[in-house]
Amino acid sequence: MTVAWIIGGVVIVGAITVGYYNRFVVLGNRIDNSLSQINVQLKRRADLIPNLIETVKGYAKHEKGIMQEVTEARKALVGAKGLEKKMKANGVLENALGRLFAIAENYPQLKADTNFLELQRELSSTEDRVAYARQNYNDSILTYNNLCQKFPGVIFAGIFGRKAREYLQISEEDSKKPEVKF
Amino acid sequence: MNKIDFRDQIARNKRKSFFLMIIVSLVLVALGYVISMAFAPEYFFTIMIIAIIFTISYTWISYYNSDKIAVASVGAKEASKQTHSDYYRLVEGLTIASGLPMPKLYLMESNQINAFASGRDPKHAVICVTTGALQKLERRELEAVLAHELGHVANYDIRYITLVSVMVGMVAIISQIFLRSLWFGGGRNRDDKAGAIFMIIGIALAIIAPIVVTLVQLSISRKREYSADATSVKFTRNPNALIGALEKIKSEHTPEKKVSKAVAPLFFSNPFRNAGSTHPPIEERIKVLKAM
Repeated sequence: MTVAWIIGGVVIVGAITVGYYNRFVVLGNRIDNSLSQINVQLKRRADLIPNLIETVKGYAKHEKGIMQEVTEARKALVGAKGLEKKMKANGVLENALGRLFAIAENYPQLKADTNFLELQRELSSTEDRVAYARQNYNDSILTYNNLCQKFPGVIFAGIFGRKAREYLQISEEDSKKPEVKF
Repeated sequence: MNKIDFRDQIARNKRKSFFLMIIVSLVLVALGYVISMAFAPEYFFTIMIIAIIFTISYTWISYYNSDKIAVASVGAKEASKQTHSDYYRLVEGLTIASGLPMPKLYLMESNQINAFASGRDPKHAVICVTTGALQKLERRELEAVLAHELGHVANYDIRYITLVSVMVGMVAIISQIFLRSLWFGGGRNRDDKAGAIFMIIGIALAIIAPIVVTLVQLSISRKREYSADATSVKFTRNPNALIGALEKIKSEHTPEKKVSKAVAPLFFSNPFRNAGSTHPPIEERIKVLKAM
């Protein structure tokens, strides 16, 4: 009888252990996936810029300063390594684009160009997407960390060597308003 | 916001869907049994085999085509990516926020602001909005409504609700056919007792079935609307947009004519605008959202 109890106990503990292990793997993969989603959206954003510059050039040739700025911000974003740096570069690009669109207000023909309007809409929706991807990334980390830190998950996290992960923060500099130079 | 555990809701919806399919299949077979005993006991086995084959294939087909059936029943058309690019963009953004696959997008001609989701799982989901919703809602409000529908997708409400509409509807149709066929002198050559008894059982079943249908529809808990609202906020982090959309709907007074009662639970707000058995009152939903 006692043997049956022991075997039963071992089976149950084994099943729980496997369950936790798989849960860690699934949630960990979800974080990685949402991270790659952020990168996909940032790349998509960067890919739209050259087209935008071409369109703007057609109507507002002498606004070289701002176009230069956007192009450089894009280059910085493409070249940035690591999520923190990428997000920072993205913030810079976002500011530059905001200024570009503000300047575009002075060019009625540019504002009426369907290509330009389409790009503007596309860029603002990629901005949403970057925000959503970031939110999804943090949500995935929240679920993962809950599993790692709650009891009894904390025991299994110790056994499997899983640690709580860092959230993606908006850095101080990003949230600061950019200074506008004319 | 974590008061409603989504994983529990998903498991419950899957379980309920499974039992619903079994129960409705049994009811259909039982109806077949009674009808065959009432009309033609000599062909009992043939009728039963046909009834069982019919039931299995019906269950199968409605499960795998639930999205198309729901879309067809309200006469919706697939939205084109060119002319409704904003609609696509909003849903694409939300799929990123939610980590769900991209659903198919449909449009339904109607002045009313409304939307619904359907399908058997997130990979085969459809979302449909009315043209009225596209015209009358602000971008963010539309996004919140779409997020609510994606919430139904994520919580597996779509599978359960669509199955209820399609399968339970079938019971209603069969019992109707049976009742009508009595007018045309079904079982006229039979005066034996057994036939009469089965006839009475048949009539009773045909009357009870639609009542059961209503009961099952009422079992579609109003709670799932609240939890879809909560999911919407989880995706957009913008309860005010959803409140705005609900308030616009509240101020509208155009009841929907094209929608069958069976699919009413699918919609974002009750298409019939009556004292609402399928949806909680809009005021309540707004109150809950304001507390978030």
